[in-house]
Order: sequence, then structure tokens, then C-alpha cells
Amino acid sequence: MAENPAYRLWTMRILYVVLGLTLIFLHLLPLDTLPRSWAGPDIMLALTFAWVLRRPEYVPPLLLAGMFLLADLMFHRPPGLWAALVLVAAETLRARYIGLRDLTFAVEWVSVASTLVVIMIVYRVVLTVLMVDQAPLGLSLMQLIMTMAVYPVVVVVSQTVFGVRKLAPGDIDALGGRT
Amino acid sequence: MARNRAQTTDYTGPLKRMLIGVLVLVLIGLFLLWRIDSPRVERFRAQVIDRVVPGFDWAMAPVTGAVNILRDFQSYQRIYQQNQELRRELQQMKAWKEAALQLEQENARLLDLNNVQLDPRLTFVTGVVLADSGSPFRQSVLINVGARDGIVDGWAAMDGLGLVGRISGVGDNTARVILLTDTSSRIPVTIQPSGQQALVIGDNTAAPPIDFIEAADQVRPGDRVMTSGDGEVFPAGLLIGQVAEDPGGRMRVRLAADYERLEFLRVLRNYGHERVTDPGSLIAPEGLPGSEVGDAETTAEGADG
Repeated sequence: MAENPAYRLWTMRILYVVLGLTLIFLHLLPLDTLPRSWAGPDIMLALTFAWVLRRPEYVPPLLLAGMFLLADLMFHRPPGLWAALVLVAAETLRARYIGLRDLTFAVEWVSVASTLVVIMIVYRVVLTVLMVDQAPLGLSLMQLIMTMAVYPVVVVVSQTVFGVRKLAPGDIDALGGRT
Repeated sequence: MARNRAQTTDYTGPLKRMLIGVLVLVLIGLFLLWRIDSPRVERFRAQVIDRVVPGFDWAMAPVTGAVNILRDFQSYQRIYQQNQELRRELQQMKAWKEAALQLEQENARLLDLNNVQLDPRLTFVTGVVLADSGSPFRQSVLINVGARDGIVDGWAAMDGLGLVGRISGVGDNTARVILLTDTSSRIPVTIQPSGQQALVIGDNTAAPPIDFIEAADQVRPGDRVMTSGDGEVFPAGLLIGQVAEDPGGRMRVRLAADYERLEFLRVLRNYGHERVTDPGSLIAPEGLPGSEVGDAETTAEGADG
């Protein structure tokens, strides 16, 4: 952490936006216009949760809400609902950030997985109550499980490639305070 | 929960928590607004897509092209087999072509005999597929023609052969086509040759099921499915595909359009038909023409005098 913390903070925020836009771009490529019988993981969600639990200051709420709202609009989902749920989930995880920091990865994984299950259930319940057409349950479940499975990979990549790791005691965080 | 709150008070100030609350409210408000007044929010969505997707376009075309080349490369491995298959198909096609030519001539003769006027206004605009829906849950594509080219919501989109979907959401430079396979797609159809009316209902599979058939026993696998023009959304008589029976005994449509490679789509211009609504007034007009002519002449004379 020799470099200027503020500089690094803004670089990482811009990197988050770039990664998000790249993922949206890859999803939008018109490669599969046949209906698929499988659903890939929601990597953007896993990435967001991984970063929130490591360096919450890299993923400020406004940025997070903006990215997911854009994804809602681009992917033809009901606009706003998924973004709101992800925002609430990320803030719950952020509130537990200090407690989770000292525990093992398994605990973190379980808490992320349970958060994913909860927001998926709430999402489907709200859509059912408001009578919105929704995706087949099988596909949603598959996406949920794939997202859980891909979470450790996303964490490893974030740590090794992008250098988003947990703060060790004594490090100065990006906001300039001592942890 | 209380312990966590206490620990994080120095990290998240009340101002920050308020910001999060406001954000969540705004997002949920947007969702509710969409649920209540969908067209307005969908227009907003179309505008956002119109702004963002053409910006991606310069990168999208090469990446899509590269992936397709890779896929084609895989298919070179069984090129001999494919060649054999193609020769066989070509042989069959020649027979069909002969039949089609004869039928076309016969059709032209019959049309000429009856002096039939086909609808001349059914022209089309062709667009390139820019992007797909981006999620496995929705089946739609974006094309690069929009309001600028006169595209209107609800028009039919076809590939060279069959119906592909319906325009839903028009931006200035882009438009979204909801495919027949999407869960929100419902198309009124006629099944030929029995003439049964039915609905083709998208269910996120490659072959959407046919429902609400009037007399299901008159429909056989292999029958042709065309749009019926009911509901005045689509012009009648666009080919959709053929009836096929799935293992569960349910009737499905095998789509005629090539959904594996949607590259160019034709959007049919359809301004609807003029309708005769009041049969009585055809025979006797309300104002008698003779009296009007007389009035006009008297006023003209008055002006002269």
C-alpha cells in the first residue's frame, strides 16, 4: 500500500464499473438466440458480494445501485426490483463486514449463499404477488446454485488479479482510517 | 444484529444510511411505477438501450464474428458427413423446386383469372441483430432499426422464411423483438389445412406449444401453422412453422425461422386495414347532395347580385 490511498480507491471503483460493463457486454452478445436449457452464474453478483466483504469502500451503494439498475434495464428484467434487493443484501453483508473479516472463508461462503437464497425467494415472491411473468423455477435455481459455486473462484481471482484482499490489522484503509 | 450495528457505527454514518434508504425507495418506486404504468417505463428502457447498445456495437461485431468462426471451425471436423447430407438435401430440394415453380405458375394464372389484388402495403425494413436479451430467462433480440426508420410497436419481425417475433420497445436507433419463444409471447394462429384457430404460447423452449385448439383431433403433426390476423396485431398468413407432437402428446410448433442464427430480421410494415363499421350509411348518405348543390347556387347568385 505504498501508493496514494485515494488514487487507489478511485482506480478500484472505476475498475468495478469497467468489470460490470464488460460482463453486461458479454451477456448481450447475440450468440445464443435459441432458448437455453441451462443458466450460467450471475458473476456480477458474486463479484459485488466478494468486493463488499473485502473492501466495502470500493463498492459504494450509489455505484452498486447504478450498475444493477443498468443491468435490469439492459437484460429486460423488471426494472429496479432486483437492483433494490441486491442493494439491501449488499448493505446487510457490509454491516457484517467487520464480524466476518476475522472468520474463515467457509463462514463467509455460507453467509453469502444464504443471502443469495433469501433475495432469490423475495424476488420470486414479489413477482408472483404482483403477477409478473417470470422465469421457470428450474432455471432460477440453477443460476442460484451456479452463482454459489462460482463465488470462491471470483474471490480468488479478485484477490490475485485485482488485489482486493481483506485488510490485515494495522493496514490503513482507503478512507484513511486505521482499522 | 445489535452488536454488528454497534461495531459499524463509525463506518456507516447516519447520512450514509439515509442515502441507502433513499436509493432502495427510489428503486422500488421505479419497479412499482413500471408495474402500474409499464409503457412509460418501457419507453425509458428503450431510450437507455438506445444510448448504450450502439456504443457497444463496434466491439460486439468482431467478438461475435470471432466466436462464430471458432464454432464453424469445430464443424469442419465433420465436413465430409455434412457434405453428404447436403448433397442428399439438395437432391430433395431440386424436386421441391420443380414443384414450387409449377405451383407458382399455376397460382399466377389463377390470380390473373380472378383479377385478385394482394395487399400492396406489406413492405419490410431489414435490420441487423445487435444483441440478445442477455439472460437465459428472456428471449428477445435487439435490432439496429428503430423509430428513425419508422418502426412501430407491434409489427411482425421475420427472417427469410418464418415469423420470428413482435416488436416491443422502440428506441430511436434500436428496437427490441420479443421472440415467439419468450414466456410473454402469445400469437393467434390458424392451422392449415384444417383451418383450426389456436394460440401459440411461448414457454422458453425451442418449440412453443399450441393451446386453445378448437378441435384438437383435426390437427395432425406436419400441418402448417400461420398467423391468423386475429387481434389485428399481425397480418394474416405469415408462416410460423409446422405442428409437431412432443412425447407427452402435446402439440408444439417446430418453428420455420432459423433461431440458431438470427442475423438479419425483416420488420413488416403493417398499418392495419380499413374497416367498414357502419353498414347503414353505405346506401343512403345523411345529407342529400341535391339540397347542398341548390344552397351553393343560391348563395353564389346572391353574391353576384
